[in-house]
Amino acid sequence: MKLAIVVQRYGADISGGAELHARYIAERLSSRIDVRVLTTCARDYLTWRNEFPPGPDEINGIPVERFRVSRERDACDFGTRSRRVFGRTHTLQEELDWLKSEGPVSPGLISRLRRSAGEFDFVVLFSVRYYQAYYGARAVTDRAVLVPTAEREAALGLAIFQPIFRGVRAIMYNSLEERALINAVAANAHVPGVVVGVGSNLPPAIEPERARRTFGLSRPFLVYIGRIDANKGCAELFDFFLRWADESERELDLVLIGTQVLPIPAHPRIRHLGYIADQDKFDVLGAAEALVIPSYFESLSMAALEAWALGRPVLSNARCDVMLGQCRRSNAGLCYENARDFAEAVDRLLDDRVLTDALGRNGRDYFERHYSWPVIERKYVDMFERLASEPAPQLMEPLPGWYARRQPTAPAAIDVLASLPSGPVPGTSSEMPA
Amino acid sequence: MGTALQKVLTLMEQKQERRRGHVQRGRRGPDSRGVDRRPQQTQERPGRDHVDVEQIMRDIRGRIAQRQGIDLSNQQIQDLAARRLESILDPRAIRPSLLDALRRTAGESPSRGADRVPNEPAFTFEDFTIYDSHRGALRLMRRLLNPLLKLFFNPNPLIRALHLQAGLNVEAAERDADRDRRQTEWNALHYEIVQRLVTEVSQVSLELKSLSMRVESLDAKVDFNARRVREIEGSAHRSRPQGRPPAEPIVASPAVAGETAPADAAAETAAVRVEGQSPDGTKRRRRRRRGRRSDMSPGESLSAGEAAQLAEPATPGAPSAPSEGLEPRPAIEHLAQDVGDDGAAQALSGSPTEPQPAIEHLAQDGGAAPAPSGTPAEPQPAIEHFAEDSGASPEPLAERPDADRTEP
Repeated sequence: MKLAIVVQRYGADISGGAELHARYIAERLSSRIDVRVLTTCARDYLTWRNEFPPGPDEINGIPVERFRVSRERDACDFGTRSRRVFGRTHTLQEELDWLKSEGPVSPGLISRLRRSAGEFDFVVLFSVRYYQAYYGARAVTDRAVLVPTAEREAALGLAIFQPIFRGVRAIMYNSLEERALINAVAANAHVPGVVVGVGSNLPPAIEPERARRTFGLSRPFLVYIGRIDANKGCAELFDFFLRWADESERELDLVLIGTQVLPIPAHPRIRHLGYIADQDKFDVLGAAEALVIPSYFESLSMAALEAWALGRPVLSNARCDVMLGQCRRSNAGLCYENARDFAEAVDRLLDDRVLTDALGRNGRDYFERHYSWPVIERKYVDMFERLASEPAPQLMEPLPGWYARRQPTAPAAIDVLASLPSGPVPGTSSEMPA
Repeated sequence: MGTALQKVLTLMEQKQERRRGHVQRGRRGPDSRGVDRRPQQTQERPGRDHVDVEQIMRDIRGRIAQRQGIDLSNQQIQDLAARRLESILDPRAIRPSLLDALRRTAGESPSRGADRVPNEPAFTFEDFTIYDSHRGALRLMRRLLNPLLKLFFNPNPLIRALHLQAGLNVEAAERDADRDRRQTEWNALHYEIVQRLVTEVSQVSLELKSLSMRVESLDAKVDFNARRVREIEGSAHRSRPQGRPPAEPIVASPAVAGETAPADAAAETAAVRVEGQSPDGTKRRRRRRRGRRSDMSPGESLSAGEAAQLAEPATPGAPSAPSEGLEPRPAIEHLAQDVGDDGAAQALSGSPTEPQPAIEHLAQDGGAAPAPSGTPAEPQPAIEHFAEDSGASPEPLAERPDADRTEP
C-alpha cells in the first residue's frame, strides 16, 4: 500500500500542532506502509515564504516532495477578507478568495496530486482550512482521507468546507467533540470516520531532577507548554495565577515553555524558559505538579496527551469543549471556569496528593488505551483496509458555477459557528473507540 | 490491491508482535523511567484509581459557593448582571437607540465599520475625466472638439477644482473611516467595561449580602454565648454559699468532697464517677476547667458541685438545687443547643428520669466515648463538651504541663 501525506509544512524542526501530528503519523505508519510526504517549501506559517528548496527531500527516513508556494501571504489582505467572510453574508467566491489569501497557494502540489492517479492508494490531507487540503481533497476525492484538525473557530463555518467534509472517503478525527462539531456543520455522519488523535514520541528517559537542576526549579510548579499568546488563554492564566498567588502563601511557580507573543508579567513566581529542547520539555513536564491548558479552543492538545503519558494531571480551561470532554472521559484532569475555580483546583491538586497521583495514573491509563502508537496505527490501518474493501462513493459536490459563486448567499461564518452545538460530548472513555 | 494489502497487514502484524514491548512504551531503548512513571498494564485498569472529575469539580464549586455564600453559577451571575445592566442603562434615561448601537458595535469587529468606506470606489477627477467615455468614438469626438469647447470657456479651473475636491473627498473618507474605527473600538471597550463592572458589582453585592447574613448570625451566636456564660457564672456564684464555705479552697479529693454540703455529695459522687472513680480524675477535670475559663477567677471556676448541678438531671436521686436560680437544666439545654443538637436539648430538658441517652448523645457529639449503660450519671462528657465548646484545647491531660498541680 502506498500512502501520500499532504501537509502545509513539514520538517523536523517544525513544531506546529498539525505539522507535528503529520510527521508523527508519517513516521509511525512508514513501518507498515510506503509513505511519502507532499508539502510546500514554506517554513513560516504566517508568510508561507519559500525557505526549503523545492524537490525531493528526506526527513527521518521519510521521502518528502516539496513544492513552491506561488505567493506569500499578505497579512492585511487576509485580515480584510477574514473579516468579510467571518462577519457578514458573503459569496462563495469571497470564501475561495479568502482561502487563496490564507495560503499556502501551491498549484504545483495540487498538480502533483492530480497526476498521482494510481500512484497512491490513499492521500491523507491534514488541516482542512488550508489551501492544499481543500484543493487536494477536490483533486483526489476518491482517495482523500482527511485529518481536519479543526477547532471551534470561525473558519469552520465557511460554506466551502462543507462539501469537503461530505465528499472525502474518510475523516480521522482528533476528538469526539471535533467529530460532533463537523457532523453538525456538514451533516456528514455517513462519511466513515474514527476518532484517532495522535500519540507522542516520548524520550527514552525522563529526568525531572535534571530539569529542576538545569532550570533552577526548586519549588513545585505548574507548567504551560505552547505559544504564549492571548489567543491561547495565557492572559487569563496570568490573571488567575497572580490572583491565586496574591492570596496564597503556598510555594508554587508557573513555568512557561514556548515562544512569547504576549508580554509576561514580571512576577517572581512566573518563570519563562523560552523554547527548549524536547528532552528538556519532557523533563520539566515530568517534574511539574500539573500541566495547565488555558486555551479556549483545542483540536486535541498534544501537550495534554504528553502530560498524561508521563502520569501528570492536567488543569484545563473548562470553556474548551475538547479539553473538558477529555478530562471527563479520562478522569485525569481538573477544569476551571473562573479565578475561584482555578485557585480551588490548584489548592486541591497541591493538598490532595492521593488525588493528584490518581489523576496522573488515570491519564497514563487513558493515554495507553487511546493514544499509544499501536492503537493509533491500528486505527489508521483498519480505516485504510475498510476503505480499500469498499467502493468509492459518489463524487464530491462540484463547486457552483461562475454566477452562483458570486451570489451573496453564504451566511457569516461566526453566525454558522454560533448555531452549532457546544459543550463536551457526554460519555466516558469506554465509549471512545479504542 | 486486496492481496497486497493482506500481505502487508500480515507482515505488519508479525512486525508488530516482535516490536510490541518496544512500541508500547513509545520510545527506543530501555525504559529508564521509575516504576511509578511506567505505563501500567491495561489489565490492571478496572476498578483502579476511581476518580470522578465531575464530582470533584462539583465539590470544588460547592466549597466555593459555601465559602462565598453564593450558590449561583457563573451563568446565573451573568444573567443577573445583564438584568442589572438593563436597569442601569434605563431606556427612559438614555437614548433608546444608544444601547442597541452599543451592543451591536460591541459584537462587531473593531475594523468592521471601517470596511464600509473603502468598499465605495474613490472618485478621482483628472484632466481627461470630463471628456472620458466608455465609447471610443465619442471619446475621440470630444477630444477633437475640445479646442472648440475652449473657445466658449476655460475648463481648466473647473478641472483643477474638481480634482482637488476628489482628493479632499478621499482624505475625508479616510478620516471618517478612521474615526469610525476608533469609535467602534471605544464603543466595544466601553460596553465590555460596563458589562464587566456590572458583573463584578453583582457578584460583590451577593457576597456582601451573604457576609452580612453571616455577621448577623455570628453576632447572634456571640450574644447567646455571652448570655449563657453569664447564666452559668451566675448559677455557679449563687450555688457556692450552699456548696462550700467561700474561704475554703477547693481541694479535689474525696475527703474534702465529703466535708461539703449534702447537696454536693451526689454531685461529688458523680464527679468521681465521671473520672472513673479516681481522685485524680476529679483533679483533672478541675484543672481543665480552670485552664479553659481563664477569665474567671479561681473562686468563680466551676467546682464539682457545679458539675453536679449540670449533671443533676442525670441523677434523679440527688437533692434538688436551691430555688434561687440554680437551674442547671437550661444551661445544659444551652449546651445542647449550642452544639446544634435538638435531640440532645430535648432529651436534656424533657426527662430528667432518663438522662443517659441525652448525655450519651452529647458525649458522642463531643467526640467522647459513649457512657457505659451501667452508670446512670455520667456527666463528664457533657461537661467536657461544654469545656470544648468554650474554646478549650482538647489536648490530653497527661501532656499538659500543669497536670500534676491542684487547683488553689
